[in-house]
Amino acid sequence: MLRWIVWRDLTLAWRRRADILSTVFFFVIVVSLFPLGIGPETQLLRSIAPGVIWVAALLASMLSLNRLFANDLQDGTLEQLLLTPQPLFLVVMGKVLAHWIVSEIPLVLIAPLVGLQFDIPGETLLILVVSLLVGTPVLSLIGSVGAALTLGLRGGGVLISILVLPLYIPALIFGAGAVEASIIGASPAPHLYLLGAFAIVSLIFSPWATAAALRISLE
Amino acid sequence: MNWPDLSMGGYGFYVWGSYIFALVLIAWEVVSLKQRKKTLRQQQHAQQEQRSSSVSPAVLTGSANETTS
Amino acid sequence: MNLYKYASPATFYPLAGKMIPWFAITSAILFAVGMYVGFFIAPTDFQQGDAYRIIFIHVPAAWMAMFLYVLMAIYAGIGWAFNARLSSMMASAIAITGAMFTLLSLVTGALWGKPTWGTYWAWDARMTSTLILLFLYIGFISLQSAIDDTRRADRAGAVLALVGVINVPIIYFSVQWWNTLHQGATIRILGKPTIAGPMLAAMLIMLAACWLYSVAVVLIRLRCIILEREQNASRFAEVNA
Repeated sequence: MLRWIVWRDLTLAWRRRADILSTVFFFVIVVSLFPLGIGPETQLLRSIAPGVIWVAALLASMLSLNRLFANDLQDGTLEQLLLTPQPLFLVVMGKVLAHWIVSEIPLVLIAPLVGLQFDIPGETLLILVVSLLVGTPVLSLIGSVGAALTLGLRGGGVLISILVLPLYIPALIFGAGAVEASIIGASPAPHLYLLGAFAIVSLIFSPWATAAALRISLE
Repeated sequence: MNWPDLSMGGYGFYVWGSYIFALVLIAWEVVSLKQRKKTLRQQQHAQQEQRSSSVSPAVLTGSANETTS
Repeated sequence: MNLYKYASPATFYPLAGKMIPWFAITSAILFAVGMYVGFFIAPTDFQQGDAYRIIFIHVPAAWMAMFLYVLMAIYAGIGWAFNARLSSMMASAIAITGAMFTLLSLVTGALWGKPTWGTYWAWDARMTSTLILLFLYIGFISLQSAIDDTRRADRAGAVLALVGVINVPIIYFSVQWWNTLHQGATIRILGKPTIAGPMLAAMLIMLAACWLYSVAVVLIRLRCIILEREQNASRFAEVNA
């Protein structure tokens, strides 16, 4: 069942490739705005890079969350999924996994290019990719709770952002912290471990919360 | 009773500012709740009048639920 | 004694009405006493002069901000788990008061920061966590405002509040972490002054005053919510009759 959900979501996403690409473009554009706003001085850019790239990843994830459940709600699939004998949290995990593959992995892949814009040294680029790889599941998982709670409500994207961005803050702190540690020559390991721990906690709790929220939103 | 230094050693703006802000928030909260209560009472009377004069309820207007304000 | 009958909004309404004046008056008295002890009895601090006297409102406000969030989450959770409407209404009633105490804590914290650390906002762990707590309150209030169906609003709020309450220690920890990492170059934060007897007494009295005030104000709001829902229910019934 899990595999079927993931496969279905991936197929649907592939048919709407433009949506996925727009998330990546948004990410790249937002990151590029900062040097334009702050100035091209390399030293300064290198110091703000971890935070800027991570915040842009957060915002790009925010925008893609609508797609998680809204389309299925519209065509009636979501109600069907709620009626299946399969536990709802498995369905949720499947959708979140698909969302991560479709919306977050592209960010992880393009991050090194973006990092070069900020003159991040080679080894740090690797840490950047790792931090995003470990951290983006958190964005999908916690984001899914927000998406489920706000299903069908007016106020859309802004409302989800208000709900979910504060909850993203630990991931931001540990993720950007890991990259920054690498830049200044300290070990990124403690940050990455904490980020990993946060990801595991999210993995255990959020599908359950999202499933509950889905039932609440669809009654 | 020995009065404290009312200027708070020069920090009067900060100390009294804090307490005045607290008072402002308390006042705002109480006043807005009183207002909310008054509006509800008025609506309740309007509803009761309509019921007792047995006017057709077709003229009732709906409004969004207010669970916070 | 059968307490369960008070779980019904209709029965609780008059009881709450009788309780409010007692809490309000006691709160006002304690505010006065607390201010007296804080300003007339507590001595001037060695390090911070008289500026420290802000703590008599700042610290109680910060504690209330935290207590009320946890309380809100508990009521929301109970309301959801046991389908107890009054409990959910209580959570909604607490939200705004909690947000206000958070705001008060932030503003008084900034006003305390300027004379003691030289800047209104120093991004220290405590103030930053309080700011995030304010965001969590705003999220809860926004979500409930956006949902028209009260049943869905109650339950969605419960999920959000519970997720928030689990995250608060994590957020607090991560902010502490963030702060110790970056503290080297920035301002050395002076902690609270060592608490002498009358200072602690004043703080605790003011805390009790804030607590009683909160009870009074939340009960007033709760009564408004009970009335509003009752009105909407009867309006709905009449239209569909």
